[in-house]
Amino acid sequence: MNSAQIEIQLIASLVAIACAIPGTFLVLRKMALITDAISHSILPGIVIGFFITHDLSSPLLILLATASGVLTVVLVEFIQKTGLVKEDTAIGLVFPALFSIGIILISKNASDVHLDIDAVLLGELAFAPFDRITVGTTDLGPKSLWIIGSILITTLLLLIAFFKELKVSTFDKGLAASLGFSPAIIHYGLMTVSSVTTVGAFDAVGAILVIALMIAPAATAYLLTQDLKKMLLLATLFGITGAILGYWSAHLLDASISGSITTVLGIVFLLVYLFAKNKGLISVLYRQKQQQKEVLLLTFLLHLHNHSDEEEERKVAHLNDHINWQKVKSRTVLSLALKNNMITIDNQIIALTDKGKTFTEEAINYIITNKDTEIEKMKDRFFLFRG
Amino acid sequence: MELKEYFEFLISDYTLRTISIGTAVLGAICGMLGSFAVLRKQSLLGDAISHAALPGIAIAFLIIESKNSVVFLIGALLSGLLGTFWIRGIVNKTHLKSDTALGLILSTFFGFGMLLLTYIQKIPNANQAGLESYLFGQAATLVESDVWLMSGVTGISFIILLLFWKELKILLFDPDFTKTIGFNTKFLDILITSFIVVAIVLGLQTVGVVLMSAMLLAPAAAARQWTNKLSTMVIVAAIFGALSGVIGTGISASSNNLSTGPIIVIVAAIFVLFSFVFSPGRGLLFREIRFRKNRRDLQLHKTLSFMYHIAKDHANISHPHAIKILNNFQGFTRKTLKQLEDKNYISLDGNMWQMTPTGYEKAATLYDQISKSDE
Repeated sequence: MNSAQIEIQLIASLVAIACAIPGTFLVLRKMALITDAISHSILPGIVIGFFITHDLSSPLLILLATASGVLTVVLVEFIQKTGLVKEDTAIGLVFPALFSIGIILISKNASDVHLDIDAVLLGELAFAPFDRITVGTTDLGPKSLWIIGSILITTLLLLIAFFKELKVSTFDKGLAASLGFSPAIIHYGLMTVSSVTTVGAFDAVGAILVIALMIAPAATAYLLTQDLKKMLLLATLFGITGAILGYWSAHLLDASISGSITTVLGIVFLLVYLFAKNKGLISVLYRQKQQQKEVLLLTFLLHLHNHSDEEEERKVAHLNDHINWQKVKSRTVLSLALKNNMITIDNQIIALTDKGKTFTEEAINYIITNKDTEIEKMKDRFFLFRG
Repeated sequence: MELKEYFEFLISDYTLRTISIGTAVLGAICGMLGSFAVLRKQSLLGDAISHAALPGIAIAFLIIESKNSVVFLIGALLSGLLGTFWIRGIVNKTHLKSDTALGLILSTFFGFGMLLLTYIQKIPNANQAGLESYLFGQAATLVESDVWLMSGVTGISFIILLLFWKELKILLFDPDFTKTIGFNTKFLDILITSFIVVAIVLGLQTVGVVLMSAMLLAPAAAARQWTNKLSTMVIVAAIFGALSGVIGTGISASSNNLSTGPIIVIVAAIFVLFSFVFSPGRGLLFREIRFRKNRRDLQLHKTLSFMYHIAKDHANISHPHAIKILNNFQGFTRKTLKQLEDKNYISLDGNMWQMTPTGYEKAATLYDQISKSDE
């Protein structure tokens, strides 16, 4: 590993952390798509700034681009307030228009702008180490490292200073307002931080990776925890993992670094989405299936209980004929009931055991008093084997 | 270039004609299907789908190793649909909200697509040039067969739309009711979503991945302002879409260095802006005018009723009073007094005013009328 490689990974990781922090709050506030809008619509700001300064990392350019990001948010909110279209339509109308203006500006002045549209979308992380700050003869490191580093430190300071306010206003706007934190200030503060981060990261990693770095780690973390602090930590961790793994897979494939970081983030999300312990797809599907089987079991036990003096209704074959259950279904329900010692089968006639009787009676009691949730706790007490 | 000259040129020039027809057809189908997307609150789904289509195109290229629009379309369609259903899976099966799901799929699919594109650029194969045109679109690459394909798909989706019009309409406005009366909502949902995906995929070559969502939204959002009727909205949206296509193509053809996609989007955005401001029913301008007119009427009535309270203490209701005594009532000007005189409610004489019998009666029954018209 040479120093350029280390620097690239360092920049990518810092960008990942700087994005994960506002990203977490945006995801929690259901405003994830505003990053999509901001990352596209800062383009005209960047182009105009570039005309003036001819330097992609000058402070004026960053200021202009941030302003055009905040302008997007204001425009979107203005259109929403008129009530002419829905919220998401407002976002979808504003950013393509601004982005188009940016592209037209670039292509109109292609001869004097060394701004490549590909670079806008993808960034040029690989070239980041070549643009260095030097004072006299001492080399202070890559420019983007300084930019993103200072953005990250500001973001962290703001996060620590306003953590409580952010937390309250994210989860309970009304409470925040009544406690005296202005929701508007926090909202626009968060929007400004997101815009600044987007602009700072844009130069290094491009528009699309910014969106991915803001949303994907936060979404992945949200599947794993419900605790804000843990979520912030996990999101940061996923961001860094994506950055470093992404860098090395790009190295291997000899392809775009930001594209491959995004892909890694997507894969990490997919894995968590499938395998997360409680919220993952597999465990959700498994739980749904289990619930279904247990409901069937309960119905079956209730049926037995109702007909405890009619042998005809309690024959095994009856399940197929009268309750209209398929063979497989009735067999799984029967075996589940047997395993849990709820029933005995004697000569093809099913009878409730004492345990089955108590279970059923308690269940009936909860159902008629409308305390269906209690049944879940009851299942824990009675069941030896779950469905 | 004169407009007339341009039209002559349009008819005589094969390339320009093909591109204009292509963008017009594209605008029409996008407007038509976009209406459904906008009304179903799926505006940004278009954005996500168009980005999600990119890896499909790249993979299609990796498989056939040459450029072929139809194969690309199929690849884009498959990956767009995969993205759509994954978004749905995330929203249905986890507690993540739709905005997070959309942003996530949009960025990760697009990033993966870009990864593949940059990878493709490195493999030694002369055919890969021009794949980037799918990012921002290049209307100039449209050929006649593309236009035929677009028209065919537009025709089919139009017929399907007509066939399922009633079902789609009811699904749009009341999904629960649709389900209760026995329609297969899942099928209808997939039907309309698939057609939206098809429309997006068709537009990728012309306006590109990044700007495609605007193509879908803008004509529909503009049309929404002019009508409250679904059928009118779909037709108006199609017209707006087609017009933005033709005008955008015209502008970009008449000037150097202007790519067609962004221009079409800007033209469509101007349509939206115009509709937002000038539509008679919902537009901001007429809303403001209505608002001011109401306020002025209210002021007028207030002045009249103030005068009425002064006049009713006198035996002769038309007894003249100095305008001065109205001074502690804010809300009248010379102009409003003149208006009242025009309506024959009062008569002015120098610095004096007096109520006419009509005005007196009007003022006496003013609040009765208001309460009556409220009923």
